[in-house]
Amino acid sequence: MLPTSCPSCHAHLKVRSLKCEQCETEVNGLYDLPVLARLSDEDQRFILSFVKNSGSLKDMATELKFSYPTVRNMLNEIILTIEKYEK
Amino acid sequence: MKNKINLRYIYNPFEKIAGWQALLYGLVFVVLSGWIGKHAGLVFDGAIDAHLSNDVTYYQALIILVIDVVCMSIVMYVAGLFVTKNFRFIDLLGTMTLARAPYIVLSLAGLFVTVPETADLLANPYRVFTNPGFLVFIVLTIPVMVWVIALMYNAWKVSTGAKGPKMIVGFIAGLFVAEVISKILISIII
Repeated sequence: MLPTSCPSCHAHLKVRSLKCEQCETEVNGLYDLPVLARLSDEDQRFILSFVKNSGSLKDMATELKFSYPTVRNMLNEIILTIEKYEK
Repeated sequence: MKNKINLRYIYNPFEKIAGWQALLYGLVFVVLSGWIGKHAGLVFDGAIDAHLSNDVTYYQALIILVIDVVCMSIVMYVAGLFVTKNFRFIDLLGTMTLARAPYIVLSLAGLFVTVPETADLLANPYRVFTNPGFLVFIVLTIPVMVWVIALMYNAWKVSTGAKGPKMIVGFIAGLFVAEVISKILISIII
């Protein structure tokens, strides 16, 4: 799992360096992580499952063994988190 | 850990059950509690009321339960529209109906109670202490009412997805209005 927050102060981490495994080229800078990558592991799994279920909350509810409104509330929480990160 | 999870579902089964499924289970509990309650001389004459009375027929007991459930669901739905959006009426109807399930405990307990005459009680209130079954029933109503209200609160919270002070105020206001409207409707129709 990609670390997304500082273990010391919990601020969002940024990408300092990227490396090509084939030719060993390194790209250095200070890049923001994509919003989706900043989400928790659990939220990312939820989004993957949501996409795989063609965006059907009913199918998600069956898969996760939760009620429909519970799954919808989970999605609403993720939407709020994404909106917060986008600001 | 397993016990903790199970205990949570006693107060909030709606994380797992909502919509049509909750409505079906809820109706079974509501009809059973109404039918047993009629035998026990117990009537659920309000959105969150339960009183000892032998003055209603089976038909009236059923109509009263329909008024309770429909009134509670519609009022809470309207209250929900003020505090949030994007929720389904069927979830509220189903969960609010299932939230009444603990009333079956009162109905069953009522079968073992001999209700003292009101005139006797007024003449000598201490007579209540000579009727342990009635005392146990009275004491039992408190945890059952707390359980029902906790279930209704979680039904409202899960079904609407509302949060914060708005959710709490909306629930209290909705509960109060539903109680008043159901009382008025019952007094008019029955």
